Amino acid sequence: MPRGALRIYLGAAPGVGKTYAMLGEGQRRMERGADVVVGVVETHGREHTLAQLGDLAVLPRIGVEYRGTTLHEMDVEAILRRRPDVVLVDEYAHTNAPGSRNEKRWQDVELLLGAGIDVISTVNVQHFESLNDVISEITGTVQRETVPDAVVRRADQIELVDMTPEALRRRMAHGNIYPAERVDAALNNYFRPGNLGALRELALLWVADRVEESLTTYLAAHGISKTWETRERIVVGITGRRGGDVSIRRAARMAGRVGGDLVGVHVFSEDGLSTDGDEELAVQRLLVEQLGGRVHDVVATSPAKGLVSFAQAEKATQLVLGASRRGRVQEVLHGSFAGRVIRAAHGLDVHVIADQDLPAEPRRQPARPDARVRRRRLVAWGVTVLGLPVLVAITVPFRAALTLSTDLLVYLAMVLAIAAIGGRVVAVIAAVLASLLLNWFFVLPYHTFTIAQPENVVSLLVFVGLAIAVGSLVDIAARRAHESQRARVEATALARSAATLAADPDALPGLVEQIRTTFALDRVRLVPDDGARRGYDTSDAQLASPPVGTLRVGVAVAPGAAYELELYGRPLSNDDLRVLRALVDQLAVAIDRSQLGREAAEAEALAQIDAARTALLRAVSHDLRTPLASIKAMVSGLLESDEVQWRPEQVHDALVTVDEETDRLNRLVGDLLDASRLQIGALAVNCQSIDVAESIGVILAGIGSAADRVEVEVPSGLPPAWGDSALLERSLDNIVTNALRHGGSSRVRITVGVVGHEIHVCVIDRGPGIPEHLRARVMAPFQQFGDGRAAGGVGLGMSIAQGFVQAMHGRLELDDTPGGGLTVVIALPVADLADAA
Amino acid sequence: MTRILVVDDEPQIRRALSLHLGARGYEVFEADTGERAIQVAATEHPDVVLLDLGLPGMDGALVIQALRGWTEMPIIVLSVRDDERSKVQALDAGADDYVTKPFGMAELLARVRAVLRRPSGTQESKADVNTSSFRLDLAAHRAFVVDGEGDGEVRLTPTEWAMVEYLVRYPGRLVTYRQLITAVWGPTYDPDPNLLRVHMAHIRRKLEVDGARPKHFITDSGMGYRFDDEA
Repeated sequence: MPRGALRIYLGAAPGVGKTYAMLGEGQRRMERGADVVVGVVETHGREHTLAQLGDLAVLPRIGVEYRGTTLHEMDVEAILRRRPDVVLVDEYAHTNAPGSRNEKRWQDVELLLGAGIDVISTVNVQHFESLNDVISEITGTVQRETVPDAVVRRADQIELVDMTPEALRRRMAHGNIYPAERVDAALNNYFRPGNLGALRELALLWVADRVEESLTTYLAAHGISKTWETRERIVVGITGRRGGDVSIRRAARMAGRVGGDLVGVHVFSEDGLSTDGDEELAVQRLLVEQLGGRVHDVVATSPAKGLVSFAQAEKATQLVLGASRRGRVQEVLHGSFAGRVIRAAHGLDVHVIADQDLPAEPRRQPARPDARVRRRRLVAWGVTVLGLPVLVAITVPFRAALTLSTDLLVYLAMVLAIAAIGGRVVAVIAAVLASLLLNWFFVLPYHTFTIAQPENVVSLLVFVGLAIAVGSLVDIAARRAHESQRARVEATALARSAATLAADPDALPGLVEQIRTTFALDRVRLVPDDGARRGYDTSDAQLASPPVGTLRVGVAVAPGAAYELELYGRPLSNDDLRVLRALVDQLAVAIDRSQLGREAAEAEALAQIDAARTALLRAVSHDLRTPLASIKAMVSGLLESDEVQWRPEQVHDALVTVDEETDRLNRLVGDLLDASRLQIGALAVNCQSIDVAESIGVILAGIGSAADRVEVEVPSGLPPAWGDSALLERSLDNIVTNALRHGGSSRVRITVGVVGHEIHVCVIDRGPGIPEHLRARVMAPFQQFGDGRAAGGVGLGMSIAQGFVQAMHGRLELDDTPGGGLTVVIALPVADLADAA
Repeated sequence: MTRILVVDDEPQIRRALSLHLGARGYEVFEADTGERAIQVAATEHPDVVLLDLGLPGMDGALVIQALRGWTEMPIIVLSVRDDERSKVQALDAGADDYVTKPFGMAELLARVRAVLRRPSGTQESKADVNTSSFRLDLAAHRAFVVDGEGDGEVRLTPTEWAMVEYLVRYPGRLVTYRQLITAVWGPTYDPDPNLLRVHMAHIRRKLEVDGARPKHFITDSGMGYRFDDEA
């Protein structure tokens, strides 16, 4: 019986008119001639609803006693007995009184649908299990009656009964929903415009989800597997900061909601800003992957810019960040990270996710090197501006007592200190300033910028020179420190790619992709220099412009062969190229490895085919040669008769053996031909009504003397079977011969019987039997490899028998003989007399 | 009477061998499995065992090992396995000869006679070896090529002489590479198999009429050499 159809009217809030719409639909169906009954309806005493009920038949409800009160529930049994075409069931999410048949009304509805009755029902969005907690937060009312979303989504049709909040409030004010005395309270409470707006939006969203789902089904049904072009891509910044998982989870939820991709990106800043918190970073990477996303690493001078340019390159639609945890002062000084991202992000939705209440992050101990240098410069300037005048004020009173060279040393000490702190620029300024001060205050004549003695000119020049030298040294040291930072970042990037290489057997696409993202390129192509090998391209698009750079990748597997790595997009700096060359080495390793892996796999496959062929050849040659050996031995022995007088009976014996072996050889050749016929599907089957007993007689006659060891039991009145007698005889012959050969000297029984619509022919031997796990092997052609069980031959017998029986639409089964041995059952359909006539 | 044990699971082969060996005056015992073969060998002490390798249950190679545990009786393997590995395996296990099926009765009878013949080196009277192509004086260590107008002496190196001396001691019998190496260089020596081939080529060039088509020093592919004095 086909399942009934379920139609659900979905409302955002009570009073939008679901029940009314349901009853209207019931009326329409009744007018069209369907048998419509109302299983249960809650009119809440609303007069428009009551009017809509019209002349629809309402089934009486059933009373359920519960703690002294009688609750009235839908009478499912009555509906099932009545068997209407359509039944209207209000309040899909209703919870039945305890002691009812089902706990929930939707379970009752399932019963009705199962009975082939169409059901029209209603439900409010607040009853959906998934939205339950959100709605209780919005409205402040906890909803106890819930229905699983999946159950609602199974409905054949879902129709949203929509109404603007204003209209609903007006309808309420008119007293159409609740009695007048409850209107005011309701309007100020549940039916606040804000509440209604939010509920309506949720209902719309839920239905929209539904719409997307049907779209997906449509695409699948029409075989459209191409990625849906409008798929959203949500990029989330991974910082390795504590609490960063909140924004990752949020991004994953956003991606899940719109069915989009989740992409995590970690920006290695060139100044090494983000290299702390490595453990947390690894955890967060893993989290992104667990949530179905992928992770990319990018090196950039500014994390904000790196993040945005990555998101834009990936054509992301949304960018998710954790809120900055900086203090207010730092935010004023440096600006907020989120602010910078938002300023840089054109056409991107940026979501800044607030922190959860986490214990404050321990203050980062080493300050940013950049900031440190800047702070030191600031200090140096301060010392220059403030310290020099103070020094002048202190030393001027003593200038008569001191020589100029002493003054020079005191000021030199000061300038060198400034140089050591602030570097070259400050040092030069301070040196010039100090020399001017010295000239003005300490060099005779005082308070002029003239110098009386040439010796003092030299002193001043040396003074300035020293200051510059020390300042330069400080600057160089600072630059070295910065460079080592960058090197560390690069090393981390390399280490990650090495990890990719180690973890992935085919690391090539991953590495090429990684080169693209690490250097923020548009496209990277790995092109082999001959067409025979496989390359890799990060994009399928047509090439628009020439590459910005090309690197040669030599490989070890094929000497002389090489790949070109073509890079497209932004121009590359020298630093970039340096790191790229290192990555190219890894690329070469990856190529080598994937090549070797492929070759090994091919070689292994070939070796397996080879082994199978060898085994087959060996088995076939064994089976062909064994009878040949007997014939040859007999015949050549007779020929070599110069010294032997043969008696007639000896010659007869020899000829009998030759005859038998020739037959055996002939049978084997026939088997081989049959097996190949079965394998290429060239078997002619001529099914008709046949007498199984007759076939058994034929094969026993063919077996010869060994037939004495066979017992046959055929019941009288056996109906004819449907099959091909020639094929049946071949199958039986193979099976019986096998049984005689393996059954030792014991007898073989053949029993025939009717089981249901089949005739079963059982060939029962008392031989060693075949263990359960080897039975499939016995059935496969050429499976008896080697000549260990020489007596069994190639083992074509069983597989041919099975092939023939199956060609007759019968079955061949292997079973244990109780007490030891093998029972082979051939099951053929009983011939339908009408068919046979 | 010479007693022969025939071990084969194919009754037709056993029948053929019994008939023909019996007709030629051998006493034949039959066994259809390896286990039975060992039993019969122990009770009847046959002079030769003809053994099939592909036996149900206990494989022929195991039977050879079991027999070699207590007896030196000649074992000739009869098998359809014609790959070198099977041959080497059986010979290493201690078989004396290896005949691939199908075989001609005359060939088998010749092999049986060969393994039954006493090594000629133990008999003083067999100091000379005469064939249609050459004559060996074993006592004097001299070799002569038989030519139309008389014997011309050829010089053999000590290694070549050692090889020839060992081979002619077992006319018609298979001498495996290993046996030959052990006899000439000693049991611990493990030479390049090509070494034997090179020496053999020299021997044939010196002693055979046509070195490329040897009639007396026959190669049994994958197994060893056989000296044929009748050709």
